[in-house]
Amino acid sequence: MQLRRTIGCLGVAGVIVLLSLAVPPLLGQQRSPAGQQFPSAYRPPRAADGHPDLNGIWQAFVTANWDLQDHEAQPGPHPELTGAYGAGPAGQSIVEGGEIPYKADALAKKKANFENRLRVDVSNDKTWHAFGDPEMKCYMPGVPRATYMPFPFHIVQGTGPYILMAYEFTSATRIIRMDWKQAAPTDSWMGWSRGRWDADTLVVDVTGQREETWFDRAGDFHSDALHVVERYTPVSPYHMMYEATIEDPNVFTRPWKISFPLYRRMEKNVQLLEFKCVPFTEELLFGTFRKQTAR
Amino acid sequence: MRNRVLASIGVLVAVVAAGLVVPAAGQAPKKYTAPKTPWGDPDLQGVWNDATSTPLQRPGNVGDRGVLNDEEAEEFQKSLEHDLTRDRRDGGNAADVNRAYNEHWMDARRLKITADRRTSLIVDPVDGRIPPLVAPSPERRRAQAARADGAARFAAGLPADFTDMSWPVRCVVRTDVPPYLPTIYNNNFQIFQSPGYVTIAPEMIHSARIIPVDGRPHLNKDLRQWLGDTRGHWEGSTLVVETRNFKSEEGVLFQGANPATFTITERFTRVASDAINYEFTLADPITWTKPWTALIPWNKVDPGEQMFEYACHEDNFDMVHFLTGARLREKNGETAGQRPARPGEER
Amino acid sequence: MRTFRSLVLAGAALLLVVAAPAFAHHAFSAEFDANKPIKFKGTVTKMLWVNPHAWIYVDVKKPDGTVEEWMIETGTPNTLLRRGLTKESLTNGTEIIVDGYQSKDGSRRANGRDLTLPNGQTLFLGSSGTGAPNEKK
Repeated sequence: MQLRRTIGCLGVAGVIVLLSLAVPPLLGQQRSPAGQQFPSAYRPPRAADGHPDLNGIWQAFVTANWDLQDHEAQPGPHPELTGAYGAGPAGQSIVEGGEIPYKADALAKKKANFENRLRVDVSNDKTWHAFGDPEMKCYMPGVPRATYMPFPFHIVQGTGPYILMAYEFTSATRIIRMDWKQAAPTDSWMGWSRGRWDADTLVVDVTGQREETWFDRAGDFHSDALHVVERYTPVSPYHMMYEATIEDPNVFTRPWKISFPLYRRMEKNVQLLEFKCVPFTEELLFGTFRKQTAR
Repeated sequence: MRNRVLASIGVLVAVVAAGLVVPAAGQAPKKYTAPKTPWGDPDLQGVWNDATSTPLQRPGNVGDRGVLNDEEAEEFQKSLEHDLTRDRRDGGNAADVNRAYNEHWMDARRLKITADRRTSLIVDPVDGRIPPLVAPSPERRRAQAARADGAARFAAGLPADFTDMSWPVRCVVRTDVPPYLPTIYNNNFQIFQSPGYVTIAPEMIHSARIIPVDGRPHLNKDLRQWLGDTRGHWEGSTLVVETRNFKSEEGVLFQGANPATFTITERFTRVASDAINYEFTLADPITWTKPWTALIPWNKVDPGEQMFEYACHEDNFDMVHFLTGARLREKNGETAGQRPARPGEER
Repeated sequence: MRTFRSLVLAGAALLLVVAAPAFAHHAFSAEFDANKPIKFKGTVTKMLWVNPHAWIYVDVKKPDGTVEEWMIETGTPNTLLRRGLTKESLTNGTEIIVDGYQSKDGSRRANGRDLTLPNGQTLFLGSSGTGAPNEKK
């Protein structure tokens, strides 16, 4: 009797499962690049500025910070010291079409960047930035890298012509100036961001970035002609699709695009914590200039 | 005369304590109602600047004047401007080199006294001075001496290693550690608001102090941060902000206060369309004999003036200059505090 | 009775009791030598609009015809940006006069205590706009 009822319950459960698989195609579905399904025509709640409410803490879960393109798992910088600690996970390319369209000489520079990614030499001001992944040195990562660092960021959207994006990594911040005419007065590490709304998408135009930032730990790079256009589109209460079009005629043969979902951090009372990494880098950068004590 | 001055100081302190408008001398306080955000919080949004020449502590030669009249204020401001301007070249090279650059590289607002014409930013104690220091324990004294040794090596241009430079010079923290105090430039703070939060972004160094105002608890006490952990709540139109959980590194907090025993309460009140009153109370029973409070007006500067990125560590070439310069001079025979004797010089 | 005015004027050490704020700018005498004042004319080859200090590189022609490169340390560029100046505001090839103090280690580095153009005008004293959002650029 017990067994039959259990089988009956399982049968019912099975039908429910079958129905839930069958139902979604009946609603309009939108396929995201990750292959998941979001209801199309999701209408996000409005913030006080009348536009979609992007307030909250967001984080990417792609492994693009290691490498924008397809990558296998890899050992960390010093496996002989740290074993599996610091090793890199595998990941699929977030680049539309798979590959970054480098010009031939630029590809050589990317390879050189990668070979020198752990090299640091700040003894001469003129070559201060010549080698080494700026992330390792705790330099602000620029855009779009800040978006897919393995750290959360907080979007603060109020009223008035400014939206703040605050990143946990090295407490980097950037102010998105809405409907703004003034161009970047100088270059900056996080760039000069001007935003506007395109229906329910926040479009951010980023110029004036310091040429020294990298896109990832694989040495992908750009020049000071970099122009990034981002698109943030809420697709559910918990997901936002992120797209960035990257243009730099000095380095790439054509503009190219990356995209991935951003996830809302849902822990109760979640907040950005501090990752002030400057003290973690001082021995690396300045240790060689220490006064040597006589033996 | 003295009683009138004391009475006016008493009124001033009471008015400040109530979080009301600080009246300019001779005027009755105007009732100002701060606008509200669409979700009902008082609106503090904008870019604000806190530069002023009014000193933190009452200077020694203004007697017990707490607030000045028109003529006195003009004299006070002129005298401070003369002291502070970087355009003066007098006093010999030793004084001149430390002025560093011309005045136009500095924040012009730092040559103006506060509109309410006080002689100090400190409003409590009524003498406008930081309370006497508590005698440090032998352990604290040793730690302070070690930091002082490092600072002396740095001042002599002979730092032993990067730890001899201060946290601000190392670009770890600068004016972003509360309490916010005016400095020579980049005295800007941008306030952003969103439902449940007030966010203060200081210019120097970049960071965002995202303050929940929804009543959630602080982080547990073992989760410590350079800028501490902050929670806010509204008392009428005043944002009251409490910060705890400062990291244990000494030398970060004001006057070397101890992170474990230091407490700070800050209050932000919009008192005019272009002004916020920023008030802070500091306490640390092992540093100061009693708590003390200062009031600093913030002036709205946007849209005419904007905040700009203050990257610091990224291009902090001077860290290398200090250290390589020291190694070179040591090679040439210099030791901390002493340069090598010149030929024929008696020592 | 002494007036307030005479109190203030008599007070040489007006700011005697000011305690060090949380961030007191580092003493320049730690790096630059008060005993090594320099003043020369140079040609700007580049300017780095960076924090915590902007840097101006100048080529200085010596009497014997050789050219020396000097690095001049200046203040935060943010103050200049707020007055409407931009990275285009100092073009390469501009002649400037550097009045300052040389680095203590004797290297060709100095702080730009007073930077002027040959006509006597102070470098960067002016501005070219406010940079407000509705300003066309």
